[in-house]
Amino acid sequence: MVKFLPTKPLRLPRLRTYVPRPEDPKIFWFNSERDDIVQEVVRRIVERYEDEEAAELILSDCAYHEIRRYEESKTEGAARKLEHWRSLIRRLGRMSYEGKHEALRGIAEDMAKDVAGNFDPRVYKFAVRAVPGLLTAAMNPSNIMRNLVDSGSRLDDLIAGEGPIDKIRHLSRRGTIVLVPTHSSNLDSLAIAWVLFREGLSPVVYGAGKNLFSNPIISFFMHNLGAYRVDRRIRAALYKEVLKAYSCVVIERGYHSLFFPGGTRSRSGAVELRLKLGLAGSGVEAFARNQVRGVERRVYFVPATINYALVLEAETLIDDFLKEEGKARYIIEDDEFSRLERWISFFQKFRGLDSACIIRFGEPLDPYCNPVDDDGESLAPDGRVIDPRGYASRRGSPVVDGSRDAAYTRDLGNAIADRYLAETVVMHTQLVAHVLFRRLVRVTPGLDLFGRLRHRGDVAVPRDELVADLAETRDRLLRLCDEGRAHASPAVRDMSADALLDRALQVWDGYHSRPVARVGGGAVIIEDPNLLLFYSNRIRTLAVDLASDDPAERAAATEIAVMEKHR
Amino acid sequence: MSPPVAVIGAGGFGRALAKCSARVGRRVILYSRSPKPMDVQGVRVTSELAELAQAELVFLAVPSPHVAGVAEQLGHHLDGRHLIVHVSRGLVGHELHTVSETVRALTPVRRLGALAGPLVAETLARGEPAGGVIGTLFPEVADAVCEALAGPTLRIYRTSDLAGVELANALGGIVALALGYAQAMKLGPGTLAVLATRGLSEAARVGQGRGAEARTFAGLAGAGDLIAAVAGDGRPEVAFGRAVGEGASLADAAKAVGAHVEGAKIAPLVSQWAQRKQVDVPLTDAVTKLITGGAAPREVLRELMERPGRAE
Repeated sequence: MVKFLPTKPLRLPRLRTYVPRPEDPKIFWFNSERDDIVQEVVRRIVERYEDEEAAELILSDCAYHEIRRYEESKTEGAARKLEHWRSLIRRLGRMSYEGKHEALRGIAEDMAKDVAGNFDPRVYKFAVRAVPGLLTAAMNPSNIMRNLVDSGSRLDDLIAGEGPIDKIRHLSRRGTIVLVPTHSSNLDSLAIAWVLFREGLSPVVYGAGKNLFSNPIISFFMHNLGAYRVDRRIRAALYKEVLKAYSCVVIERGYHSLFFPGGTRSRSGAVELRLKLGLAGSGVEAFARNQVRGVERRVYFVPATINYALVLEAETLIDDFLKEEGKARYIIEDDEFSRLERWISFFQKFRGLDSACIIRFGEPLDPYCNPVDDDGESLAPDGRVIDPRGYASRRGSPVVDGSRDAAYTRDLGNAIADRYLAETVVMHTQLVAHVLFRRLVRVTPGLDLFGRLRHRGDVAVPRDELVADLAETRDRLLRLCDEGRAHASPAVRDMSADALLDRALQVWDGYHSRPVARVGGGAVIIEDPNLLLFYSNRIRTLAVDLASDDPAERAAATEIAVMEKHR
Repeated sequence: MSPPVAVIGAGGFGRALAKCSARVGRRVILYSRSPKPMDVQGVRVTSELAELAQAELVFLAVPSPHVAGVAEQLGHHLDGRHLIVHVSRGLVGHELHTVSETVRALTPVRRLGALAGPLVAETLARGEPAGGVIGTLFPEVADAVCEALAGPTLRIYRTSDLAGVELANALGGIVALALGYAQAMKLGPGTLAVLATRGLSEAARVGQGRGAEARTFAGLAGAGDLIAAVAGDGRPEVAFGRAVGEGASLADAAKAVGAHVEGAKIAPLVSQWAQRKQVDVPLTDAVTKLITGGAAPREVLRELMERPGRAE
């Protein structure tokens, strides 16, 4: 049978196998259940295609997509794989019922094995000790020993965690947590993994694009810390089903999971608002399946926003967004994430920045968008405790119903997107970018976005005016915060507008390869509107609320707010 | 045995739904704040909302201004087991929230739907051939509605574009009002056709801005409903538009119609929303001007006609 893996994932030898202790998180047992999980996924897939015609269709679809993929592939072994799939297509019409199911079983098993993650407690324990040291050492290579020793507390200053963390910890003992954060950088997984560890929350199982596994060191950690591999190059419908079944089985069995419901990193910098949820939706199915089997295990969706003052890959992302607007996006193979010098430069910029990354957790929701109380009981809008099992029932009995769960999932996607808006923490770079971008829109009436983005180095705002504008906008933001409609980082809250502006310019300067804005002749000159757009997009939905009553400013804010395509 | 079907609201439409459901053999609990007995086999009238919890499918048939109040009360009794389908035409607030969004916010029920289209209470009650459309994201809600209502005299189509069904049904009211007005101005059939067609196109633009699909506006909930209104199904919007067009004051026109005129209520809200979202709604703006008394009818018509030409 065809092998999907270009490289075999590295694992530690089993010389001293770690025996999990009862107090260890459930994920420490993952390896002992791994084969079982793969077999359960295969069983479900085969069961779904019991009908001969359906099995033939899905096999044809699979072969068609794989042939197309390998026809374009220049990799070693592509010719052999191509021949394998062509041979399958030739034989398919003559295959017996059993033959088709045998082929389906084999392909599904290969796919499931390729997807399935691994969790090695030894690697986990090493990682939580070593990674902060390595990261902080990267920030300050001149004092490497001190950083390695004192790294945890430095990382603590750098990455802040907010929100109902105690409640989430408590709920993680009652049910399965499905963490659904915003996604703006490949650093997201690392940042969130660190905060989970620091707050005493269990590590999570998560899907990662196969492109991230190309670096052997990152691949080693990802593969041994619960990541399962998602190969976006495989277009076959069967592969998507395998992924979905895998994440469903994992959640059903109580493994806390993480999904980025936006799919890929937000190219525009905006908070993702149209969520399809994708694999995260399998949490809804997992709850229903457990009900049908009589397993009383709740599922809690926890929205979270990951907010950076500086985004490692900002330039590549916004360029990709502008290039690909309205077209299918491609998989970025080579960006700042894979270049060591950008990492070092990035972390050096982070030095001395308290809370350069803020992870804000939202209130947990049950799979049907209801809030839950501290004990994890679902609550109706009137505060009454309700039984979530009713949602998975028809005429009094729990049933698994794919169409129903797809509709619940869509609803949940909207609810999570709403939470993203409410839980976004406005960072100082975003606020400064917003005020500058609003100025740009204001002085370029009638131009479309691309016309505006061509204004490089010719829009200057007197510094005093800009600082006053920033101060007023910040005051309006803080009022929104008081109303519970937004959150602001400590820097935005506490620093003077003057200092905020300086800090934003200083953070951008020298990290991004193009200057975002520069000071000259008592004015701030806009140099890179693309990056301003990227950082300001994060708070685009607040634009109208952040504008003054000045008609020109209001008109500019309205234009920014209706940039629907920038979602 | 199938659970009973609940109907909230004992107005003309609520009673027609109850009769319709009883006709296909379902037990019906009809809720009314001041219950009057109904002599139809299988229909039981109650004034206790709590009793409705025994049903699985609940029809909400109250005028849109009462939806929020009723939904809030209902929220104390229903839960995730229930399915709610409303038949109200209406939009709520400055963000043009639909009735189902209001119900969703005030109750724990998630399986929601909207039944719309050229459904006339008397036709339903008498069992004459009719058709409507159920908009819902949940196929099981559509199934439940068909089981509860569909029969030899009622065809029910389905769509997953719930927002489209609700918006088409509500925004069509503005077009119906404009048509009533135009009739009073003695404008000819060609003019009425242009108003109706472009009005629906405008409604679809607003709908798309709220996440609906444009094609739903050409279906039963949009075009179908509007044709019925023009053909004389007794829509209050048409009568209201006609009365105002004939010179009656707004208060007198509303009094003469004797029913809630949703189109008149939402036109200014839609105009404001469209201005914020930069959506072009000339007809709604014209209706808003007319009913807020800010412009002369002929002047409004001239403004509409003198706009620059555009692709259809």
